[in-house]
Amino acid sequence: MGTFIVRRLIASVFLLVVVAAITFAIFFLLPRLAGQTTYSLATQYVGRNPTRSAVLQIEQQLGLNKPLYVQYGHFLKGIVAGEHYTAGPNTVYCPPPCFGYSFKSQLPVWPQMASAIPVTLSLAIGAAVIWLVSGVSIGVLSALKRGSVFDRAAMSVALAGVSLPIFFTGLILLELFVYKWNLLPAPTFVPFFQNPWQWAVNLILPWISLAFLYAALYARLTRAGMLETMNEDYIRTARAKGLPERTVITKHGLRAALTPIVTIFGMDLGLLLGGAIITEFTFGLHGLGLFTIEAIQNQDLPEILGVTLLAAFFIVIANMVVDILYAYIDPRVRH
Amino acid sequence: MRRRNTIGLAAFSGITALVLAACGGSSGSPSPGPSSAGFNAAITSTVNPSTHKGGTITFNLTTWEDSMDPGGTYYAANWNFTRYYATPLMTYNSCQGSCGLHLIPALATAPGTPSSNNTVWTYHIKSGMKFSDGQPITSADVKYAVMRTFAKEVLPGGPVYFQNLLAGNAATYKGPYKDKGKDLTSVTTPNSTTVVFHLNKPFADFNYVVAIPQTAPVPKNKDTGASYQLHPVSSGPYMVQSATLNKTFVLVPNPNWNPAMDPAVHQYASKIILNINPNANDIDNRLIAGDIQMDMAGTGVQSAARAKIVTNPTLKASSDDPVTGFMWFIYQDTQVPPLTNVHCRMAIEYAANKTTLQDAYGGPYQGSIATTAMPPNIIGYKHFDLYNAGSHPGGDTAAAKQQLSLCGKPNGFSIGMAYRSDRPRDTSAAQALQAALAPVGIKVSLHGFPSGTYFTNFAGVPKYMTTHGIGLATGGWGPDWPDAYGWGWALFDGKAIVPAGNTNIGALNDPVVNNLFLKLEAATSASAQATISGQIDMQLMKDAVIVPAVYAKALLYRSSDLTNVMVQPIFGMYNYGTLVTK
Amino acid sequence: MVGGDGADAPRAAGKGGRGFARLRARDRGSQGLESAPRGAGTAESAPSGLLDIRDLRIHFPTDDGLVKAVDGVSFTLDRGRTLGIVGESGSGKSVTSLGILGLYNTSNARMSGKIYLGGEDIVAASQARVRELRGSKMAMIFQDPLSSLHPYYTVGNQIAEAYLIHNKVSKKAARAHAADLLNRVGIPQAATRVDDYPHQFSGGMRQRAMIAMALSCDPELLIADEPTTALDVTVQAQILDLISDLQQEYGSAVIMITHDLGVVAELADDILVMYAGRMAEYGSSEDVFVHPGHPYTWGLLGSMPRLDRTRMERLLSIRGTPPSLINVPAGCPFHPRCDYASRTNGRSEKEVPALRPVSPGHLVACHLSTDEQRRIWAERDAVAS
Repeated sequence: MGTFIVRRLIASVFLLVVVAAITFAIFFLLPRLAGQTTYSLATQYVGRNPTRSAVLQIEQQLGLNKPLYVQYGHFLKGIVAGEHYTAGPNTVYCPPPCFGYSFKSQLPVWPQMASAIPVTLSLAIGAAVIWLVSGVSIGVLSALKRGSVFDRAAMSVALAGVSLPIFFTGLILLELFVYKWNLLPAPTFVPFFQNPWQWAVNLILPWISLAFLYAALYARLTRAGMLETMNEDYIRTARAKGLPERTVITKHGLRAALTPIVTIFGMDLGLLLGGAIITEFTFGLHGLGLFTIEAIQNQDLPEILGVTLLAAFFIVIANMVVDILYAYIDPRVRH
Repeated sequence: MRRRNTIGLAAFSGITALVLAACGGSSGSPSPGPSSAGFNAAITSTVNPSTHKGGTITFNLTTWEDSMDPGGTYYAANWNFTRYYATPLMTYNSCQGSCGLHLIPALATAPGTPSSNNTVWTYHIKSGMKFSDGQPITSADVKYAVMRTFAKEVLPGGPVYFQNLLAGNAATYKGPYKDKGKDLTSVTTPNSTTVVFHLNKPFADFNYVVAIPQTAPVPKNKDTGASYQLHPVSSGPYMVQSATLNKTFVLVPNPNWNPAMDPAVHQYASKIILNINPNANDIDNRLIAGDIQMDMAGTGVQSAARAKIVTNPTLKASSDDPVTGFMWFIYQDTQVPPLTNVHCRMAIEYAANKTTLQDAYGGPYQGSIATTAMPPNIIGYKHFDLYNAGSHPGGDTAAAKQQLSLCGKPNGFSIGMAYRSDRPRDTSAAQALQAALAPVGIKVSLHGFPSGTYFTNFAGVPKYMTTHGIGLATGGWGPDWPDAYGWGWALFDGKAIVPAGNTNIGALNDPVVNNLFLKLEAATSASAQATISGQIDMQLMKDAVIVPAVYAKALLYRSSDLTNVMVQPIFGMYNYGTLVTK
Repeated sequence: MVGGDGADAPRAAGKGGRGFARLRARDRGSQGLESAPRGAGTAESAPSGLLDIRDLRIHFPTDDGLVKAVDGVSFTLDRGRTLGIVGESGSGKSVTSLGILGLYNTSNARMSGKIYLGGEDIVAASQARVRELRGSKMAMIFQDPLSSLHPYYTVGNQIAEAYLIHNKVSKKAARAHAADLLNRVGIPQAATRVDDYPHQFSGGMRQRAMIAMALSCDPELLIADEPTTALDVTVQAQILDLISDLQQEYGSAVIMITHDLGVVAELADDILVMYAGRMAEYGSSEDVFVHPGHPYTWGLLGSMPRLDRTRMERLLSIRGTPPSLINVPAGCPFHPRCDYASRTNGRSEKEVPALRPVSPGHLVACHLSTDEQRRIWAERDAVAS
C-alpha cells in the first residue's frame, strides 16, 4: 500500500504540471486565434484612453511580454521556490507555494483562494452529507418496495431533480423562503467557528439546491445497484442462514451495492470541492466557484491557473482516496 | 467615467428574469418608506431630508470593479463612493439639476488660481486637516497622490490626464516605485498648504481634472502600492475598518474628520458595508426586500426587477429614472465612402428609426430618445432636433431620400457596420438600424466584434474601417466632466485620432470643431464655456458625425431604509456621500 | 419416507444383485411408518420423522401465467438418512428445498401443503419462527460457493455470523468455533485461513467452507443443492465423502439435490425422482437403481456412462426438452418424451398417473403396469450390458 501511494503521488504531481501547461496554452493560444494580442489583453487592465506606454508598462509588470515557456517556467518556479514581487514601494516575498499575483488587483492569489476554500468546503460537504443520506435511503427503500407507489413517486421526483438546473431550484427556493415568506435570511456566509447555527441556517438553501440534484442521481443509482445486488446468490445464502431481513439488506446487500456509489461519490465530491460554480453564483457565496467566474471574466491568468490547479488537486486526491477506499471495501481488488 | 454594464452571466439573468417576472407581480411587495415620495422624486428634490445619526448602510455590488484605490479608478460608482474616504482638491456639489454639475472646493480652499495663459494652476489646501491616522494633511501628500498615479504598472485603472497635461519631467517619470527618490518636477509645493501644477499647454478645465479622486492626499509613509486599496489612509468622513478583496469593504466613521474639509459629504451613518454579490438579480431582490439599502453600481435594476417595479404602483413610487450622463449612439466614419459626403450621412440621420433604437437599448426606462451629440447633463446643453426625430420618431424617409439625391446616391448604397457582438444591446441596435435604413435603399452589412478588442483592433483602427468599408459603428460614452471638452474632445477633435484604440471613430477633422475646442480650452468664464459647448454640439450634428440613439437612463430603486436621498447628476445615480438611515 | 403398509423389514447389507459397483447399502433401523397414500377424506396422521412433507405445492403467479414449480411433493426423512432428489433443471428440486427453508415466504409465491420439521408445521409457522429455524435447525449448501459467499467478508466472519445469530456467545468464541469448523471440514491451517476471503480459496476449499458454514449451528436437516456441480471431478468425490462423514458424525438428515445420478448413488439412502414439479418415482436407492419403474428414470440411468458395462456407441439421451411449468402437458407430464406412452392406450395423454407402490416403499407415477415396467427395464438393461 505504501509504494502504491507514493507512485500515485508522483503521477499526480506530473499530472498537475501538465494541467498547468494546458491551462497556459488555452489562455494564450486560443485567443490568439481570434486575433487577440498580449497588448490588447493588457489594455483590459488599464483605464479608458490609456497611453501606449501605460499599456506597455502593464504588459511588462504582468510578464505578458515574455515568451510563453518563460512565463510557464516562472510560474512553476513560484510554486516550488516562491517569488519576489514588486507592486508598490516595497518588494514582497511570496513563500512557496506561490500561485502568483492577480493580473487585475496585483495582490497574491493564494490568500484569496484560501479564504474561498472554507466556503466551498462547507457548501460541498454539507450538501454531500444530505444527498448521500437521502439519496441512498430513498434508493434502498425504492428498491425494496419496487413497483410500489412509493417507488414510482420517488423515481418521478428523482427524475425531476436530475432534470431541473441548480439555478432554477435555487432561485425558486430564494423566491419562496427568503423574499416571499421571509422564513430565512438572504444567505451570506458565516464561518462555522464564528457561529455554527448561523452557518447552517444560511447554508440550508444552497445545500438543498445542490443536494437535490445529486440526491436524485444517487437514489436512482442506489436503487439500480440494490436491485442487482439483492438478486445475488450470497443474499440467498444470508437468508438461508436465518439472518434477520434488516441485516441481510444492510450488511450483505447494501454493502455490496454501495461500492459503485462510493466511487462516484468520491469523484462528485472531488469535483465539487473545486467550486460549486452555479450554486455559489446563485446564492452569492464567495467560494472557489465564484472565484473561478471572476478569474475568467477578468481574464486573470494567475487566478485561473491557481483555481484550476487547486481543483485538479482536489480531483486527484479524491481519485486516490476512492481507489484506496475501494481496495478497502472490496477485498478482491487487493489480491 | 466609464459605466460598465454587467453582461457577464446574461444567460442566467435572462432565464431567471422570465421566472421571476412570472413569480413577480404584486406578491411580497415590501412596505414603502415613511412617505413614498413618488416616482422620480429624488431627481428634483431630496427625498425625506434628514440628519439622523447612526445606522448601517449596506451596499451590494456585482464585482469589485476597477479598484477602491482613489488613484486608480475610472468608474462613476467608485468616484461616488470614494468620497467617503478620499477628499480631492475640488468636488461636485451635492445638489440636483445643474447645481450638481458645478464644482466646489473640497480639500482646497478655493478653485485653483490659473496663470494668465492657464498653464500654471495654484491651489491652497485647508490647514489643520488630519488623516484618519492622525497625521496632518499637507500639500506634499497631494503631490504624492498625483505622483503615484504615474505608476501605471501598479495603478493601471485611473485616468491619464496628469500624464498628458503636466509639464516638467512628466513625460518620462515612471512613478515613485520605479523611479524611487526621483521628483516629479511638474508639481511643486512651496509650502505645506500650497500645491502648484505646471501644465504643458493651456487648459482652462483644470479644475475638473483635480476633481478626479486622484488628487485625494496619500501619505507616502503609508503607501503600499497595489494593496493600498484594502487599507487606504482616509481623508474623508469614513475610514476603512476591514476589507477583503472581492468580498467586503467596511467603513466606520473617521474620528479625525473635520466637516469643513468637504461640504459635499456627511458623517451620518455609523457603519457602511459593501458586499460583493455577483448575482445581479439577487441584488435587486434583496434591495426590494429591504435586506440591503443600495446597489453601488448605480446603473439600474435588471430587467426582471424593472418589470416588477414599473407595473407595481407602490414600488414605482419608490423609484427614480434619472439620466445617467451616458449616451448611446452610432458613429459615422467620415473617411469611408460614400459617408465622406455629409448628405449621405444626413440621409442616415433622417432614416434612422429612433423608436426601435430606443427599444434596442432597453426601452423608455433605459433611455430617452437623443437628438444631440451631447447628453443633457453637460453644461451648455440645449435641446435641438435637426433631423425630425420629434416629428418622425420612426424615421423620415422622405427627407432621407432627398438627402440621398443630394449626395448622388438616389437609390441608396451599401455600407458596413461594426458592433460589439457580445453585447445584446449593441446587437439589437445594429439590427434596428439595418432594418430602418433598408427601405430607403441603404444596405447595411453587419460586422460583429468582441468588445475586448473592439477599440484596439477593429472599430478603433481607422485603417481597418476604411479597408473594409465599415462606415458605421456602435458606441457609447460618458464624460469625465460635464462640459463639452470633457464630453467630446476625445470623440470629435481632429487631434484625438490615433491609429489604434481610436475613440474619434468618426475620424472627424472639422476645423470649425477643432477651433471651437481650442476656444473652449481657453475660456475661463462659465457662461463662455456654456455658449461654446452649445456651438460645438450644433456643429457636430450639422456634420452628422454620430447618429444619437438614447440618453441613457437607469431605473433606480429607493430603499425604504434610507432618507436624504437625491440623484447626483454628474454620477447619474444616488449621491452616496449624503445618505442617511431612517 | 413414504412406505407401504406395515413395517419395513431391515434391509440386508452388502451389495446385491445388479447394481453399481459403488453402491453401498447401509444399516437401516426400522422406520416410522406412514399410513395409506394421500387423498381426499384420509384423516391427517401425526407427522413422522424429522422432516415430513405432505402435498407441497409452490406456485408462482407471473405475467405469463401460473408457474407450477412444485406440484404435489410428499416424502419423509429421518435423522441420519440421506434423500437424493434427482431431476433435470426445471424439475422443481431446488424450489422444493428453498420452500422447505421458507425462503419463499415473503415473495408472492403461493405455498400450500404441510412441511413438518421435528413435528412443527413450518408452512403455517410465523416468519420469525421460520427464521429462527433457518440456519440452526435446517441449513443449506448452495451450488456455486464463489457466488454464494459474500465477497467482502472473510470466511470466518460469515461462518461466525451464522453462529452468532442463533447463539448468544462472544464474537471471539464464534470466531474460534469458525476456525474449528474449518478444521473439521478439512481445510489446512484453519486458524489463519479463517481470516481469508472467499476468493482466496480454491473451488473445493470454498465448498468445504460453505459446508462448515451450514454446519455451524449443528442443524438437524442439511440440504445440499448440487454441491459438486461447480467442482472438478476429483474434488467432487472429496466433498461427497466429507458430507457423508459429517452426516455420520452429526447425525443430521441430508437432502442431496442433483441432476447427476452418480452423486446420489454414493450417498443416498432414498431417491426421489422429480419431473415437471411432480414426483415421478420414489424409493430406496436400491429400488430406484436396480428396479427403476418410471421411463424417465430409465432415461436418466441410460444416459449415464458406466464403467461396468461395455462401451456403447452412443449414450442414450432422453429426447425432447423439459416442459414448460406454466403449461404442463396434460395427463402424464412426461408423455411427450416417453417412448412407451403409446402402450397406455391413450391414458398418458388424458389421465394424470397416480403415484402407486410397485413394491413396498417403492412408488412410481406411471400408467404402465408393474409387470410391464419390469419387463421393459429388463430389456433395456440387457441391451446395455
